[in-house]
Amino acid sequence: MSEFALLTLLIGALGLVALGIGGLVLSRNLFRVVLALALAEAGANLLLVLVGFRQSAWGAIAPIIESGRDAASLTPSMVDPIPQALVLTAIVIGVGVQALALSLAIRAYGAYGTLDMNALRARMETDIDSAAGTQPARCQHAPAGGRPLPPISAGARRADTPGTPA
Amino acid sequence: MSHSLLALVVALPLLAAFLPPLLPGAIRRLLGPLALLLVAALGVYLWRITLIEPVSLALGDFRPPLGVVFYVDSVAALFVLAVALVTLLLWPWRGDTSENLDRKQSLTLVLAAACGGLAVSGDLFNVYVFYELAAVAGYGLAAGGGTAAARVATFRYLILGSLGSLLALLGITLIYFRAGTLNLAHLADLAPQTLHDPFGLAAFFLILLGLGVKAELFLVNTWAPEIYATAEARVSALLAGLVSKLALLVLARLLVLVFPLPEARGALLILGMLGMLTGEFAAFRARDIKRMLAWSSIGQLGAAFIAFSIPGSLGLAAGLAIALHHLLVKPALFLLAERWGGGLARLAGAARRSPFGAALFALFALSLIGVPPLPGFWAKYLLLSGLAAQPDNLYLLAGLVVLVTTVVEAVYLFRVIGMLHGRDAAHSEKPQNMALDMTLPASTLAGSGAFAALLLAVALAAPWLTAPLARMALQMNDSAAYVARVLPATATSEATK
Amino acid sequence: MLTRYGTLLFAAGFAFLLFVLFTSQPLGAPPMLAGQALLDEAATTVGAANIVTAVVLAYRGIDTLGELSILFAAATAVGLVLGSAHRTLGAGAPREPGGFILRAGVDFLFPLLLLVGFYIIVHGHLTPGGGFQGGVVLAAAFVLPVLARPTETLSHKAMARVEGLAGGVFILTGLGALAFDRAFLAPLLGPGQLGALLSAGTLPVLYLAVGLKVGAELASLLLRLSEDEADA
Repeated sequence: MSEFALLTLLIGALGLVALGIGGLVLSRNLFRVVLALALAEAGANLLLVLVGFRQSAWGAIAPIIESGRDAASLTPSMVDPIPQALVLTAIVIGVGVQALALSLAIRAYGAYGTLDMNALRARMETDIDSAAGTQPARCQHAPAGGRPLPPISAGARRADTPGTPA
Repeated sequence: MSHSLLALVVALPLLAAFLPPLLPGAIRRLLGPLALLLVAALGVYLWRITLIEPVSLALGDFRPPLGVVFYVDSVAALFVLAVALVTLLLWPWRGDTSENLDRKQSLTLVLAAACGGLAVSGDLFNVYVFYELAAVAGYGLAAGGGTAAARVATFRYLILGSLGSLLALLGITLIYFRAGTLNLAHLADLAPQTLHDPFGLAAFFLILLGLGVKAELFLVNTWAPEIYATAEARVSALLAGLVSKLALLVLARLLVLVFPLPEARGALLILGMLGMLTGEFAAFRARDIKRMLAWSSIGQLGAAFIAFSIPGSLGLAAGLAIALHHLLVKPALFLLAERWGGGLARLAGAARRSPFGAALFALFALSLIGVPPLPGFWAKYLLLSGLAAQPDNLYLLAGLVVLVTTVVEAVYLFRVIGMLHGRDAAHSEKPQNMALDMTLPASTLAGSGAFAALLLAVALAAPWLTAPLARMALQMNDSAAYVARVLPATATSEATK
Repeated sequence: MLTRYGTLLFAAGFAFLLFVLFTSQPLGAPPMLAGQALLDEAATTVGAANIVTAVVLAYRGIDTLGELSILFAAATAVGLVLGSAHRTLGAGAPREPGGFILRAGVDFLFPLLLLVGFYIIVHGHLTPGGGFQGGVVLAAAFVLPVLARPTETLSHKAMARVEGLAGGVFILTGLGALAFDRAFLAPLLGPGQLGALLSAGTLPVLYLAVGLKVGAELASLLLRLSEDEADA
């Protein structure tokens, strides 16, 4: 693979990570948040595979010893098998987490009738306060440090309508 | 190969989590506690032998840089014991349906296995896998509270946690890219040439932020008050008591072994100070017990981060003392808060209904503040004396922060104690007060009573515990011994050639 | 608006930082300290022609156990969130059986998918593929009939049994090594002849367990989500 192709792959993987993180922070719709997470994870996995790539005289050789070939002559130019195994693990982890996130989103939608993150958060705060028997305090839902999903003040109102898959 | 039993720390709880669908009802209820008891026994055994010398196990008999290694020093062994004991004390004996009880017990076992794995693992990616395992089990348990608010809180926790895992994975990718190995001992051996530069620091900061999510590090701890307010008390106790400590332990190990750099320590120190300040002041302003405890736990973990940022075994000793003390106190407080979870005003007069419960609360609160005979005092004393011994002014500032936040802590905890013993007449006109039963159930009292007994035992035995603690810190700080044990000289030279 | 641009700027900056880090040393020439040593010895010590399989099941078998547990935990948690398996069907939208083409196609595909799935699993140590990939195909084989005939759903209990059995087999095979004075998850029975179907010791057994567990877990995850959709 040429230098240019490798660079393209790298930029593609980093682009996926950046898009995913941007989407994770900016999306208000729960389903889109999960999609953004999947994008970012795909980018990270791509990076991990890319790190194990080894340029050899015949291009890249997959770490599989074909029958009839001499193992000792192949192994010095095979790509690194460890990142490939790690990526397999990371992908499966991602699948599990995303399935769980979707099931939580389904239940949240069932209870509150919206998939909008800000609306859901407001309802959750109200529920917590009424369960505790306290007045909602203005100071409490502005925790110090960054919020995981900061609100967008304008422009994204349409996310309020639950038009996305439930 | 006599240490091949080490693998049981992970294997036994997982086996007990997988097998129940195949077994009849009577046995399956006993399987989990039995597995945890065995792990606890193993923890005691390991602690006794590792106080003399650490042990390691190459899983699958593959020589270390290739396969995954488990490494147990006395610190890891003590955490294995603590994981098993705390999980047993917080074991879910009852559930709404038999199916859901099965699920909760399985998830609790998986969480215990993951925490044990985090304590003993000596491989960077393996740590990531166990961290994710603990995370997913934690999400399941947190959502298991059943309310809609718990689901929303868990979703937000899951997204933040996954973002953290993503950052950690990127950090691990960077380290593998540069060093070509994942074994912590091998990395420790290579780090001075390959990772002690801005590249390595960037990787460390990514991992710090990533694993910091579970350790309630400043900036990535916004999930804590939401989860602890909505999840069941025993789940909050598990997450705040165990999972956060194990994430902290992994970060401390990484700091000692691979990144013993002033920049890395400085980051830990500053984030720890910010966490302590924001946590304790937010706890001061909180109006219900659960969120107050959540913020105070963020503050306490900030103190532990400050302690681990002190170079040398003195800092490690202080950090371990703070972490272990918090591990005993916070779960018990969350158990007490199960019934007393409402707003502070509702607590008026609760001490009359449950005098024993109120006494326990006062005991834990006093230890948390650091009143002399109790273990919390020794933890803070170690921290402050460690900070005072450092020449850098930033460490002195951290000492000031610890003192100031102690005052804040005392104010809000004494406010609750006062409320508990106060007269309920002033508030009884509110009709909802009448309906609430503030009497604590016997199971809660037994659970937190057990923690209190442990705490008092530690307080009584304090003079005899300083030597083992110092020994543990020394062992943890000795990265040369770690490398020598995991990678015998032949393997090192061959792998690095 | 400001947060939006700020976030985009931050994400782009983060990507640029990573770009600088990843181009700080040449791509395509990794150090491979552990990787090269592993490539050199894997064929003789483990005996799997597919070296990635040797890493997944032998060298880093504990990671695979952890990842199976993560899938298990996720499936259990989804069960906890979405509720009991015994819900009455038809409470929500009526579930009509699929058309003739769908039903006939599924009947035709089901045995084929089973065959392909098991083929991929048992050849995991020789060719690309293995328990995870084959398990996904198996899950598809069992989910398709439910799409065609929604009234006949699979028993969650049976799938939980398969899951438990497969997980148990994986751990017990690993613990079996202790009986031979080897470490946990050490492959037994010797490497065998490289490239033969019956080679690489206990690795094919482990991959079969992985395949069954992944198949059962994914199928139960998908079915639970689809059952819930019908009820909503």
